[in-house]
Amino acid sequence: MSYVDAGYAIALSTVFVYAISLLVRRRRWDRALTVKESTPDEGAAAAERP
Amino acid sequence: MTTTAPPPNDLVATLPAVPRLRPRRPRWLDVVGILGVIGLAFTVWLGLWVTPPDKFQGNLARLLYIHPAVATVALYWVGIVAAGGSLLYLWPRTRSLFWDRLAASAVEVGAVFAALTLVTGSLWGRPVWGVWWTWDARLTSTALLLLLEIGYLALRRVPADTAVRARRCAVAALLIAVDIPIVHFSVDWWNTLHQGGTFIDPGFQIHASASMSWTFLLGFVAFSLVFVWLLGVRYQVEVLQDAVGDEELEVSLAERWSEDTELIGAGTSARPPSGPTESGGAS
Repeated sequence: MSYVDAGYAIALSTVFVYAISLLVRRRRWDRALTVKESTPDEGAAAAERP
Repeated sequence: MTTTAPPPNDLVATLPAVPRLRPRRPRWLDVVGILGVIGLAFTVWLGLWVTPPDKFQGNLARLLYIHPAVATVALYWVGIVAAGGSLLYLWPRTRSLFWDRLAASAVEVGAVFAALTLVTGSLWGRPVWGVWWTWDARLTSTALLLLLEIGYLALRRVPADTAVRARRCAVAALLIAVDIPIVHFSVDWWNTLHQGGTFIDPGFQIHASASMSWTFLLGFVAFSLVFVWLLGVRYQVEVLQDAVGDEELEVSLAERWSEDTELIGAGTSARPPSGPTESGGAS
């Protein structure tokens, strides 16, 4: 592999992997927020503990 | 020390729900991302197969269709967004978490592009200069930029109240911004191995064939569009992180209030009471 091929491969694959990681992180945090919204109020539940 | 009496249990139960901030996903951002990918594909096609080899550098000049474009994003676009966002956050009239989150998103994307700038530059420098790395002013100041951005990201992970974290990070981003003109003017201020502007001279005369010029320009546009898309998605992640984090803080505060209520109710308040006014640093 030449220096040119290596440069293109590294640049494009890094940007691609970073973009995918951002999409995964966005989906994970979005689901975390959805779970939080769907569960009962944990603060109120903790306050009602005997 | 000012303390606030902990609210009774029924008050905790009836606390108003904090509105959840879910980021919008604008369609234009998807369009920008698709255009960026198409632009990158054309840049690769033109850069590797269509443009002729350079008169002096041969095929190695093909790296210059991506290296300056990546460096432009890492230096100028990131610098403008990070420094501008931080200044607008620090300015009392425009203070908003939007600017803090935008600056933080730009710095993370900038760290990726700064690393790519160093790697692609090194891959070009090895056959042309004969070394992978030299302590040249341009290279060293660019490496310093990457280190400053990593430091910013580390600082952002230090647990703190949202406002405190935003203020700290805004100051750190301004330190990053100080390095950017140093990188830019390093080839003029010092006698460097890295060349100055060779593609476009100060009189804006382009010294390249038409296909090389268009490929060069397309690389700039494509990487800039990709940067905008990455910045937008990273901003959405930042908003979601804060939304989940704020809710966890709300729950932990309610739990602490309830514990204090139990202690006071049992008449065994051995430890100092804690209330909302003291928990500003909780995270």
